[in-house]
Amino acid sequence: MNIFLRELRANLKSLVIWCVIMALLIMIAVSKFSAFADNPEMLAMLDSMPPAMLDALSMRAFNLTTVSGFYGIMFVYFGLMAAIAAAMWGSDIISKEERDKTVEFSLVLPVSRSRVVTAKALAALVNCIAFVLITWAISLVAVRSYNPDQAFYNFLSLEMQAMFSIELIFLAIGLLLGCAMKQYKRSASVAVAIILTTYFMSIMSQMQQSLDFLKYITPFRYYEASALFFTGKMDSTYLLISAGLIVICVAAAYLIYNKRDLYI
Amino acid sequence: MSIIEVTNLTKFYGKSRGIVDVSFSEEEGEIFGFIGPNGAGKSTTIRLLLSLIHPTSGSAKVFGKDVVTHGPEIRRDIGYLPSEVYYYEGMKVIDLLKYSASFYDCDCTQRLHDLSEIMELELNRRISDLSYGNKKKVGIVQGLLHSPKLLFLDEPTAGLDPLMQRKFFNLIREENARGVTVFFSSHILGEVQRLCTRVGIIREGKIVEISNIRALQQNNYKKVSVTAEGLEPAAFDLPGVTNVQTENGTVNFFFKGDINAVLQRISGMQLSDVTIEEPTLEEIFMHYYE
Repeated sequence: MNIFLRELRANLKSLVIWCVIMALLIMIAVSKFSAFADNPEMLAMLDSMPPAMLDALSMRAFNLTTVSGFYGIMFVYFGLMAAIAAAMWGSDIISKEERDKTVEFSLVLPVSRSRVVTAKALAALVNCIAFVLITWAISLVAVRSYNPDQAFYNFLSLEMQAMFSIELIFLAIGLLLGCAMKQYKRSASVAVAIILTTYFMSIMSQMQQSLDFLKYITPFRYYEASALFFTGKMDSTYLLISAGLIVICVAAAYLIYNKRDLYI
Repeated sequence: MSIIEVTNLTKFYGKSRGIVDVSFSEEEGEIFGFIGPNGAGKSTTIRLLLSLIHPTSGSAKVFGKDVVTHGPEIRRDIGYLPSEVYYYEGMKVIDLLKYSASFYDCDCTQRLHDLSEIMELELNRRISDLSYGNKKKVGIVQGLLHSPKLLFLDEPTAGLDPLMQRKFFNLIREENARGVTVFFSSHILGEVQRLCTRVGIIREGKIVEISNIRALQQNNYKKVSVTAEGLEPAAFDLPGVTNVQTENGTVNFFFKGDINAVLQRISGMQLSDVTIEEPTLEEIFMHYYE
């Protein structure tokens, strides 16, 4: 419990910074949306754009002049931010002890390495939950003046659940990197590299039919705003894949961290 | 019962050597000195005993329990002062000590204040504001806070001023008088001589000698210095003679073995001076190091 609480306190600053960035993103985006809202000219202009470009920006599925359509496009950014924040929290919370050379203190305490990983993972998880809830709350406040209908609230709730799933996947990946990589300096950059690679894979797989198989590899395709919008639920196949991925990463993180030498 | 029991412990970091085939044991209540030059494997040995790193082969037991499988249990009764102390920079000294104490089942508040007073530690400062020596003091208090049964000290006096060193040594002696076993790693022989009853000497990852510190000085080596006209070093070409040095007609050497062999040689000579004395620890260790 004491490790968990200490980590929460130590990570509070980072959570606040991410939330401020998210609030800025939403506020700027919503103020831009005011130009699109109920504006048929904008719709006509978008229709004239090349379809491939709209695909790349995942703008084709949505009617940009409605709040729901607008939030459908916003989801890509929520997903990316969630992925980066979660992966950083996951890897950093483990690897910082080696970076700051505090392992010689924290792991000489009478605690097993598994207990340390559990406490730290839970602290990072709390950060992830808080990040989603705050994103949700900011969104509700930001769109209030457009009087969105119930369908929007349902869609937003679904988006937030999907964002949380993406967070969980990348938290698990980050945790694994933090636990497994002896070169602690690299774990965060590898995490970001994985995020960017999978993100571009998701764009490529949408644009190029032959790369469609990539959709099973990149978590960004597991939860697509358009699919969420039209089906009204998260695809159970992808939920299963996500769960599997998380379990494997977390189990591997525990196994490796218990076995390996700490870098001092 | 042996508090520490190390059997053929070997550690390689990839291909580079940590320690090779190290075996020794330490009894309850002992202060065991672990001496060797930098990079000899002193810290590696301690880190293996604390299960921060895992052995390549061999085994080690502390309190009769294997260090790899019973780490957390063993560490409940261990205090550790690393050679360089690092704590969470943002925390205050008092918060860090309380955090550390919260992991042990003891009410350490009184002891926390007693120890801090002895070491003249300012509890309300931030870790990041502390000098090297002050961080070391936090380390000492943190290591002793939970009244451990076994203390690992890894070059503990670095950064402490002589006054603090003396207080620290008194503290260690008091703990030892209460029955605490101490594993004292250092390359400063004076401190080892002051504190320890038995020493192990490690060099290039291997134990070269384990001995009672008095025995090491008394029984093993004599420092012999002979002055005579026209004396050649070859005159002392005996088994057991090492470190032969000649200067101004004086031959100095170390001798280990039956002293009568040397005396017989000398008795046939016309001497102007002769001394036979115990070497200082310094000289003994230089001999091992080289």
